[in-house]
Amino acid sequence: MTEERPLLEARQVFRGFFGNPVLKGVDIALLPGRVHALLGENGAGKSTLINLLSGALQPDGGSILVDGKPVGRFSPAAARAAGIAVVQQELSLTASLSIAENIGLGAFPRRFGFIDYRALHRGVSDVCDMVGLTEPLDMPVADLALGRRQMVEIAKALFRKPRVLILDEPTSSLSAHEAGILARLIETLKDRGTALLYISHRLNEVQALCSHVTVLKDGLVTADQSLSGIDGEGLVRLMVGRETGDLFPPRSVTAPGAMRINVEGFSAGMVRDIDFSARAGEIVGIGGLVGQGQEDLLLGLYGAIPAAASRAEVSGKPALPAHVGEANAAGIVYVPADRKHEGLVLPHSIASNLILPSLGRLASRGLRDRPAENGLVADLARRLTIKGDTARPVQALSGGNQQKVALAKWLPLDPSVLLLNDPTRGVDIETKREIYLMLRAFAAEGRLVILASSDTPELVHLCDRVVVLREGRVAAALSQDEISEGAIVGAAMGITAMTQGEAA
Amino acid sequence: MSTSSSSRLYGSIQLRRNRGLAGLYLVVAAFLVLYALLFPGILSIGGFSKFTQNWFPLALVTMAQALLMLNGGITLAIGPLVSLGAVIAATTMEGALGVPGGILAVSLAGLSIGAVIGAIVTYLRLPAIIVTLAGSFIIGGVALILLPRPGGFIPDWLSTMLAGHTPVAFLLLVVILLLWKAFLATPLGLGIYAAGDNPVGAFRSGVPVERVKVAAFALSGLLAALTGLFVAAQTGSGDPVIGTPFTLNSIAAAVLGGVGFLGGKGTMRGAICGSLLLSVMINVMFFLGFPPVAQYVAQGLIIVGAVAVPELLGQWRARR
Repeated sequence: MTEERPLLEARQVFRGFFGNPVLKGVDIALLPGRVHALLGENGAGKSTLINLLSGALQPDGGSILVDGKPVGRFSPAAARAAGIAVVQQELSLTASLSIAENIGLGAFPRRFGFIDYRALHRGVSDVCDMVGLTEPLDMPVADLALGRRQMVEIAKALFRKPRVLILDEPTSSLSAHEAGILARLIETLKDRGTALLYISHRLNEVQALCSHVTVLKDGLVTADQSLSGIDGEGLVRLMVGRETGDLFPPRSVTAPGAMRINVEGFSAGMVRDIDFSARAGEIVGIGGLVGQGQEDLLLGLYGAIPAAASRAEVSGKPALPAHVGEANAAGIVYVPADRKHEGLVLPHSIASNLILPSLGRLASRGLRDRPAENGLVADLARRLTIKGDTARPVQALSGGNQQKVALAKWLPLDPSVLLLNDPTRGVDIETKREIYLMLRAFAAEGRLVILASSDTPELVHLCDRVVVLREGRVAAALSQDEISEGAIVGAAMGITAMTQGEAA
Repeated sequence: MSTSSSSRLYGSIQLRRNRGLAGLYLVVAAFLVLYALLFPGILSIGGFSKFTQNWFPLALVTMAQALLMLNGGITLAIGPLVSLGAVIAATTMEGALGVPGGILAVSLAGLSIGAVIGAIVTYLRLPAIIVTLAGSFIIGGVALILLPRPGGFIPDWLSTMLAGHTPVAFLLLVVILLLWKAFLATPLGLGIYAAGDNPVGAFRSGVPVERVKVAAFALSGLLAALTGLFVAAQTGSGDPVIGTPFTLNSIAAAVLGGVGFLGGKGTMRGAICGSLLLSVMINVMFFLGFPPVAQYVAQGLIIVGAVAVPELLGQWRARR
């Protein structure tokens, strides 16, 4: 291989959101004629890196270089002018406009200031032929199925005649046939000297198409190497493994107690026909890639979305809770992932958030019982080590402390089952430790904790059992010694061989 | 594929945009026929002129509103802008620059006020409904300061030309619609749709979303202020509160025409039809001798119905 100059490069880029660092000094270099894979778990910083490379975000530190020269203020328009095109995972299409207009959007050929529909038609026909789009070009995108829209998105990127093409999970909604067209297209572009960056959770695609890989982990590059001689297991190994220190409390040694949840043939939302059971005193983790049905499983058990099961036993009752009120009455509580919108009333005080679920119970003869409420708030604040004045609004707290409030408000109900959706997302490490201790303590008191998480180490080190979902089905059910990062990530990505290999 | 030349691509895209509007076209046609049967006078030049003069201001403010709704915004400042346009027209046309100076002053005021509101909404990221509500008080106040009571001066020949017995207003509307078509054939014009439907996607595609938004507000302001000029010509003087009913009527007409509240959904041709429908309905009820209160109630029921019927039809189709 000759030493070629990268067309697009990021050097030591930093970027954070709301004081949360996402990228902590990342390097990546895209060479002409090479398909470069970008791998990483959920939240590793892949999307942020793509947004920096395409001008949609500005780095807090470090620089983006095009043809070896640093660019000043980078915008999507400047990126396009530099020959960089992105196939977004979240489509960038306008539903009411036609296929042709969508493909040209932001890069219209012009004549006297007007869109040159003749030139547009020519250019769009060419790229549509390349991706096998045979629909009439005047058809509104709203009429297309998701997979076809994805092909329009790809055609849109090609229309810009890119020297650098970034593909963010391009195949997630494509049929096998369409994915095949895309694969051939990538080969063609590679031969023409286009630099390609390919992001995918489908490791077999990565192996088939890519020759070089950069692995992101917690905002750092953990591998930047050639892909030759690396198999699927090797890829997974590159993505996992990190020092966990004493972040996690020791597992309990006591045997789990009575059966609390036992469902067979359970379906809710994305979840299709799964069996699931959990006992008192357990912490059960739900893992998987983003949006594989984890939230729907929790919400279905909570009665918040329509759910069905061929056989169900929940908290001693022979049926699923029909609605949230019934679930609460049976001692089941749910802490949502989106604490800012679903879990808390942000402008209200810590105290009023804490007593919200208990208001009705504490009231006497229809009136609020202030002394009882104050006692409860003081007790909760002490148990949860919430520091300072509880009259402050919740939004003044850090993300971690907000999460503690969202959890704590349920404790007065003495719940027997806690359903937690990604409770440590965006939470600093110290508060994470406190939350883990809290969850362990809950389990030790004989409560059942079911925890959906996008954080693999948390599943490995905190949970007694882990259920990995993939496309709404159980991809793996792991317990005790079987639980490892390799096994979870492998199952989440559909590599079943990993479940034994890495655990041994 | 049938599209083989550019004009065919443009033409077929335009044809497709009529889709879903057939029902609206039918209703409008039915109302027009009913109107013509009730008041055959509309079929004469003079009757047609009067009819279109009544419709013209509503059509213009509906365009001003739909422009912003398509872009994912809304404005509550339409009415006061119409009033201000009328007041400026009535106070500047007797100045040294005469009628051209007056038209220029009204246009500049509309454009710049719209652009300022748009810049506040866009760059300070404030909700359009609040900013335009606040703007409506300020603009309304300024109109009242400039001309505390109806008055001012509009040359007779201008009133006669715009609101006389010739269909000048209708021809002006045709010209404005052609200009809108031309605007929609520019990258900026299509950007209004794209930024309304999927702002993040449009931004990532390289559409200058913020500039598009400010431009939409500026054009909307221009249309509203010019409506004021027309209304002043129609009444022969400037009235500082004459625009008030236009704010909500513009929203009603746009909604009748199928323009959605969330941006990117709907068409300008639909909105224009909506304004025609509303205008005809108001006229019919007025001439049939409905008391004003009943008119308002009927108007409200028809608008709710117009939004609910397609929704219910959709649900009914989905169930089958």
